[in-house]
Amino acid sequence: MTNSETLQETSTEKETTWEPVIVGFLCNWCSYAGSDLTGTSRLQYPANIRIIRVPCSSRIDPVFIIKALQSHADGVLISGCHPGDCHYITGNYFARRRFLVTKQLLSFIGIEDERVQYSWVSAAEGAKFAKVVEKVTEGVKKLGPLKFLKREDLL
Amino acid sequence: MNYTKEIQEIAKKLFDEQKIDVFIGYQKSKVSKNQIPFAFKNADEIGSLVFDKQSSHNLVNYLKFEHSKNKKAAIIVKGCDSRSLNLCITENQVKRENLYVIGICCEGIDNENGEKEERCKNCVFPDPALSDTILGNPKGKIAYTPDPEMLEMNNKSMEEKQEFWDKIFGSCIRCNACRHSCPLCYCDKCVIDQTDSTYHHASTSKANASMALLTWSLHLAGRCVDCRNCEKACPQNLPLHLLHKQNEAVIYDNFQNHLAGVNQNDKGAFYKFSYDDPDDFIL
Repeated sequence: MTNSETLQETSTEKETTWEPVIVGFLCNWCSYAGSDLTGTSRLQYPANIRIIRVPCSSRIDPVFIIKALQSHADGVLISGCHPGDCHYITGNYFARRRFLVTKQLLSFIGIEDERVQYSWVSAAEGAKFAKVVEKVTEGVKKLGPLKFLKREDLL
Repeated sequence: MNYTKEIQEIAKKLFDEQKIDVFIGYQKSKVSKNQIPFAFKNADEIGSLVFDKQSSHNLVNYLKFEHSKNKKAAIIVKGCDSRSLNLCITENQVKRENLYVIGICCEGIDNENGEKEERCKNCVFPDPALSDTILGNPKGKIAYTPDPEMLEMNNKSMEEKQEFWDKIFGSCIRCNACRHSCPLCYCDKCVIDQTDSTYHHASTSKANASMALLTWSLHLAGRCVDCRNCEKACPQNLPLHLLHKQNEAVIYDNFQNHLAGVNQNDKGAFYKFSYDDPDDFIL
């Protein structure tokens, strides 16, 4: 087999197997530690997720979600502490309100519900984090790549 | 609903007693059938003041401009306008003691074709929420009904929605008139004005226009009072109210029937929370 043949083979393979890109915004105190536990407990989860650490789930401006979807991502996962467990006492309660409205607004303009997901994952729930990522990845894979409102300068 | 004479009398009296520096009211327009907002500076100008069914604009917007900022002002408010005034006061943009408020019990506003405006058909709050003088007969509470156009939009498939909004965002020219005409957009430096921030760029591409409009509508979520100044100002006639109405309906259904600015000292929906807020959408 020559070099050019192998190159051709890999390039056709790339076209057929599309993998979604998911951006994960994880709160520093619960979900980020939870995802760390997933790793240290050697649990497998899809590598489609790119994790960004934020101080609190209420740090996440809806603008972050829209920018992620416009830039390259096909889905966004946001994860924070369970209600009552917030390091800053009430941060996730404020965030919960914003998330609900943002999610509904995005689905109103035509971005599917499965693309923008929220979860509560505590620092002890490594297994839950793996499950959540699997679920989100599956959902986005079914929908296919997001083509709506992409930034042209990045495509 | 024609209170021109009554308001002229009140205005003259206020100017004579030197209680106000400026009176924000309406004047007949030479171009449009709708009245235009006008800041009257003395009693001699008051003769041209009008108020009738064509007085459509929300005047609260004009309290943020130079001619009336930090001055003693009198203002005419309808039901919807009074809600935005309430919010401006709670958010420390306007001082209540500097204001003399003439509240109108609204019977619905006509558009330029002489028909009742769309928003007035589903009006929830025709009576002024705050006033020093009330004109007209209060109607009391009216049950909230979601916007029918918005509900229709919600029932469409994702492809149809994408097609619709693709056109809308594509035809936005980023003049920012919507933001400028909004009584609740008072920030000196608005995020969507930024020319080269991480998130917002001054370009008319669909991505940048959608980013600006969505951010703007989310900043107004739980605060918008449906005065539709933005839509009247929009040179492209975009249906901007759909975004606001969608947010309003979601907030009303989920957060203890929250309606912006209905009571004095009421804050926007995102300034507070409840422990019982729904979280069935969270994994």
